[in-house]
Amino acid sequence: MENIATSASHLRSEDVNVWFGERHVLKNVSLNFPSNQVTALIGPSGCGKSTFLRTLNRMHELIPSAGFAGKVLLDGHDIYDHDVDPVDVRLNIGMVFQKPNPFPTMSIRENVLSGLKLTGRRGYNASELVETSLRRASIWNEVKDRLNDPALSLSGGQQQRLCIARSLAMDPEVLLMDEPCSALDPGSTRRIEETITELSDSMTIVIVTHNMQQAQRVSHQTAFFLAEEGNPGRVVEFGKTDDVFNSPIDPRTNDYVNGHFG
Amino acid sequence: MSELDLTALPRPVKQPWQVRNPRNTWLVAAASVLPMLLSVLITVVANIDATLATILVFLPLQIIASVGVGQYIFGKKGRGDAILVIFTIFFSTLVGVLLVSVMFSVVVDGLRAMSPQFFGQNNHYISSTTSLEYGGVGHAILGTLLIVGLTTLFTIPLGILIAIYLTETRGRMRSTVRTLVQAISGLPSVVSGLFIYAFLIAPSFSSHGLTQQAGWVGSVALFPLMLPTVARIAEEALRLVPQELRNGAYALGAPAFKAFWQVTLPAAKSGLITAALLGVARIIGETAPLILTTAPSNDTNLNPFVGQIATLPTYLYGYINQVQATSQQRAWGAALVILILVFVLFTLARVLGSAKSTKAKKRK
Ligand SMILES: Nc1ncnc2c1ncn2[C@@H]1O[C@H](COP(=O)(O)OP(=O)(O)OP(=O)(O)O)[C@@H](O)[C@H]1O
Ligand SMILES: [Mg+2]
Repeated sequence: MENIATSASHLRSEDVNVWFGERHVLKNVSLNFPSNQVTALIGPSGCGKSTFLRTLNRMHELIPSAGFAGKVLLDGHDIYDHDVDPVDVRLNIGMVFQKPNPFPTMSIRENVLSGLKLTGRRGYNASELVETSLRRASIWNEVKDRLNDPALSLSGGQQQRLCIARSLAMDPEVLLMDEPCSALDPGSTRRIEETITELSDSMTIVIVTHNMQQAQRVSHQTAFFLAEEGNPGRVVEFGKTDDVFNSPIDPRTNDYVNGHFG
Repeated sequence: MSELDLTALPRPVKQPWQVRNPRNTWLVAAASVLPMLLSVLITVVANIDATLATILVFLPLQIIASVGVGQYIFGKKGRGDAILVIFTIFFSTLVGVLLVSVMFSVVVDGLRAMSPQFFGQNNHYISSTTSLEYGGVGHAILGTLLIVGLTTLFTIPLGILIAIYLTETRGRMRSTVRTLVQAISGLPSVVSGLFIYAFLIAPSFSSHGLTQQAGWVGSVALFPLMLPTVARIAEEALRLVPQELRNGAYALGAPAFKAFWQVTLPAAKSGLITAALLGVARIIGETAPLILTTAPSNDTNLNPFVGQIATLPTYLYGYINQVQATSQQRAWGAALVILILVFVLFTLARVLGSAKSTKAKKRK
């Protein structure tokens, strides 16, 4: 893919705080996601990475007990502004979930095109879009002969790549990925990582991962989240991936990236 | 290292879990046949009542035999398993036999009245002495279809809307609505009929009533009986659709109604069809509300808004109380027709429910 100068958006969170019921789970998270950069979110299980990711495209508010304070700026405009429609936000900021969730009543092909149908888009070349999306999610060769099979006939890892393809078909400006490779074999993982690198030409990407090598391979910058015993999760360290992994400032970051806890 | 053989192999004829120890097979066969034979023998020789013998002779014998075999094959844990299996099979057979015998008596008695004209003709010119070759339930079938159809027409959309309100929104009235629906489901059908009768018909004796007895009044009386069934089963069906699917649609930028229409609804489709169907099954045999709100008729009436109209349950009710053999047979015939109608409905729903998956395959 050529290096096109693009219009990918930049995203920025300012003092994001999250509650579930009365429980404060994220405190004052301020991160900057420059356009066309890949940002990795790392940290121990339960520290709030998925939760933070959901605040970035207003999926968080779909949880009944959810609470939120702070700002998330997409190209300088707060997506939590009272006159912003969350539907428009999610149109620009796509998301791949931690657990694969293909639509069970649709075929593989219909799943890829589901976003366009769900948002009433027209004037696209369906078969071309299906092929490029599935190729970018590195699943084309496995499914090209069975595009009309039900999506649930795929294996777990294939379903996850189908969900990636589904998001890519929407061509979002920002893509949020929650452990997209946690169910994948090394080969597919490598191809997804290549895809992420290619996509960063046209998108801004935020990826949650538990795989330290993956964070180092794909990301430009890294944020380390940590929730200490009974306290809300916070960002302990945020900077260039190289710096976070090789010369971390905080000793806890050093311990975590070297596998001493978490 | 030798070359790896990567080609596929044919499936073995017998799977490992299908292989049984032949001695055990014989033991199990003996344990399932011998107690039965023995108890038949005892029953005949001692001349005991068959029902009594089933419980006092057969069941204990069967338990002893099965526990023995279970103990022999599996050791201690085989005993508990054997008892559980015997009780499960025994009581499910019991319930099955009861159910089949009810069906059987309806079918046997009903079949005597069955003939093409029984379906096709109405009761015009039929007296209690007319032979069974004349007259039928054609008018009652049409009446039932019209009245139940009318109720279904406004109950299913409303029931599903209530279910949508309960599962897909965060409305403040949800618990109130749910309690209300549950309360209505406890309403005895005769009270529903009485209520509608008192409100819409009774005042007409002093010529102030809104209407006389008519098909549509019957439909209204059936409405509160069908609504809770539809709403509750539809709610269950929608609740079974995983939240992740809705989230998947929202994350693609879908507006709520499209996410519901294209993702949630198709996923809940077969459950919603079941809801509609059980709703219809709930009211198709209802008698009391119709006795109060419709006037029976011997003629075909295709207008549910005016005049007397026959239905299968009121037809049955009208004939079963008469002494003549032909009248009683007509009643049994009507019972069989109701069963057939329900059966046809269920088959139809099954076909509709599975039509989707084949369509997804065919579409290119
Ligand atoms: N729907 C919810 N309701 C209540 N609490 C929740 C909910 N979702 C998450 N939490 C809580 O919020 C905290 C952060 O959870 P989150 O899923 O964001 O963790 P995570 O960092 O993504 O962990 P993992 O790496 O295991 O995915 C946890 O303590 C969790 O128990
Ligand atoms: Mg997570």
